Amino acid sequence: MKQNLFLYGLILFSSIILLFLSVPLIKMIFGGDLGILWETFQQEDVINSIFLTMKVSAMAMIFVLITGLPLAYIISRYNFYGKSMIEALIDIPIMIPHTAAGIALLIVFGRGPIADFFANFGLKFADAEPGIMIAMMFLSATYLINGAKEGFNKVDVKLEKVARTLGASPTQVFLRISIPNAKKDIINGCLMMWGRGLGEFGAVVILVYHPMIAPVLIYDRFTSYGLAHSAPVAAIMIVISIFIFLSVRFINNRLK
Amino acid sequence: MKFLEVKNLSYKLGNFKLDNINFNVNQGEYFVLLGQSGSGKTLLLESIAGFNKVNGEINFGGVDISKLTPENREVGFVYQDFALFPNLNVRENIMFSQKYKKIEDPEETLLDISDFLGLVHLLERRIENLSGGEKQRVAIARALFSKPKILLLDEPLSAIDPTFRNSIMKFLKDIHRRYNLTTIQVTHNFREASYLADRIAIVMKGQIHQIGIASDVLNKPANLEVAKFLGFKNILPTSMIGEDSERLFSVDPNAIFISKDKINYDYVFEGKLEECMGVVDHFKIFIRVGDQQFFAKLLMRDYIGCYADRGESIFIGFDKKDVSYL
Repeated sequence: MKQNLFLYGLILFSSIILLFLSVPLIKMIFGGDLGILWETFQQEDVINSIFLTMKVSAMAMIFVLITGLPLAYIISRYNFYGKSMIEALIDIPIMIPHTAAGIALLIVFGRGPIADFFANFGLKFADAEPGIMIAMMFLSATYLINGAKEGFNKVDVKLEKVARTLGASPTQVFLRISIPNAKKDIINGCLMMWGRGLGEFGAVVILVYHPMIAPVLIYDRFTSYGLAHSAPVAAIMIVISIFIFLSVRFINNRLK
Repeated sequence: MKFLEVKNLSYKLGNFKLDNINFNVNQGEYFVLLGQSGSGKTLLLESIAGFNKVNGEINFGGVDISKLTPENREVGFVYQDFALFPNLNVRENIMFSQKYKKIEDPEETLLDISDFLGLVHLLERRIENLSGGEKQRVAIARALFSKPKILLLDEPLSAIDPTFRNSIMKFLKDIHRRYNLTTIQVTHNFREASYLADRIAIVMKGQIHQIGIASDVLNKPANLEVAKFLGFKNILPTSMIGEDSERLFSVDPNAIFISKDKINYDYVFEGKLEECMGVVDHFKIFIRVGDQQFFAKLLMRDYIGCYADRGESIFIGFDKKDVSYL
C-alpha cells in the first residue's frame, strides 16, 4: 500500500510538470486555424526566416563540431593547469543573460579592431548572417562541447592505447576509435546545440535584426501586428523543430 | 640471445615510481612479470609498449626503442578486459592493423589465425554478442594479426571464469609454441606463472626483486618479502634448526608431520597446539614452539582430527629436504 502511494505520488508530480511542458505546445500547434497556418507557411518571409534559422544554426553547429571536438577531447584526456578554468569558461554562456551576451558580442564583433580585422576578409557581423552564427555559437556551443566530453569520457583510454600498438597514429586513433565510440553523445550534443540555436533570440536581436531569423520574425510580428499574426509562425517553427528533433533522436537511438 | 633488454628504466606516476628496472627477455621466451595488484607490473608492461615516457633504455634487437611511439615498436598488447573496439565487428577488430601496417596476404593470415583460435564462425559478429572467452581470443587474434615481434599480455586470465582458466592457460602456451612469439605476461597469480613461464621476474613496489628460471624463483625466493608474496609459510630463523647464521628458512605446511608421540625426522619439535580448523578436505593446525608458530596442513584422507586439544603438547617433524633457505 505504501509502495503504491509512493508510486501515485511520483506519477502525480510528474504529470504536473509534463502538462506544463506540453499544453502550450499542443495549444500552439492544434489551437489555431489550420487555414491560417497553411497560408502563413506559404509566405515568403516566413519560409526564408525559418530556412535561415535552420541553416545558420547548422553552420554554427558544424563550426563548433570542428573546433569543439578537439577541445572536448583535450579536456577528457589530459590533466593540465587551468583545466577547471576552461571548463568553467565553456559553461558560463548558458548562465549569463542572452541579451548581455548579445551586447558583449556587439562590442567585440560589431565595431573596433576585431570587427575591422574580419572586415578585411569581407566578413561583417552586425546585421549579417555571420553575426547570427556567432550569437548562436556563443550561447549554445556549451551543449556540444560538454556532450562530446561526456562521450570521450566513456571511451576507455585502453582502446586508444591498443589501437596505437596496432599501428594507428594519434590522429587515426582519434578519427577511427575515439569519435566513433563517442558518436552517440556527440550527436546528442550536436542536436542540443542546433536545437538551442534555433530558439536563440536575445543575443541575435541585438546583433542582427535583419535578416530576420524565425524568433526575431515572431517577435517582430507580435510587436507590429499582434498575437494573431505571430502565433502561426511560432506554431510552424515548433512543428518543424519537433519533427527534426525527434527524427535525429530516433536515428541516434538506433545507432549501435 | 637477448631479444629485449630493459636497462635502468624509471617512470614516476603521482606518488608511484617504477624504480631502476633491469631485465632481459630472450627470443621465443615466455617471460612473466609476477606481482601483487599495485606493484607496477602493468605500468611496466605499458612502458615497454610505449604508452609512458620513461627514463632509461629499452633495447629491442639491439636498437633503443625507448623514444619510439607505440605504433613503431612492433608490439602486440592484450589487456585483461580485452579492449576490443565496440564500433567494429570481430573481423574488423582483428584486421584493424591492416590499414596501418603492411600485412602480407591479409585474408590468408586472418583465416589462419581465426581457424587456430576457433573464431571463423564469429567473424561477422558484433563485439557485444561475444562471451568473455571469445572476446579474449579476438583480442589475441587482433594482436597476432599485426605480426608483432613481442606479445604483451596484461593479466589475460583475470577476467575469465575460473572454470575455464586451465584450458585458457594451455591455450596461451599453444599460441606461444605455434607462433614462437616472445611473450611477456603480467600476472598476480603464481600458479599461472609457474605453468606458463620460462622465466619470472617478481615485481614489488615498482622494483624487480628477483629474476630467474620459473622453478628457481618459485621455490627459492630471494628475500622475505618475495617469500611472503609467493605464499611461503613457516618462515623462521635458521637458529631453530641448529644453524649458526641469521638466515631464515621456510618449510611447506604439507611437509610437516604431527604426532601425539615422539617421532623420527631430521628436525623434531615439541610444542603446544594453539588452533585446529577443519577446512573442506584438510585441517589447518597452528603449533606454538617457544616464541615461534608453525603452521601445518593435515589432509582429512590421512587422518581425521587434530591429534590433540587446544593447549596440549604435540610433536611436529620435518626433513632437511623440505627446508628452503631464504
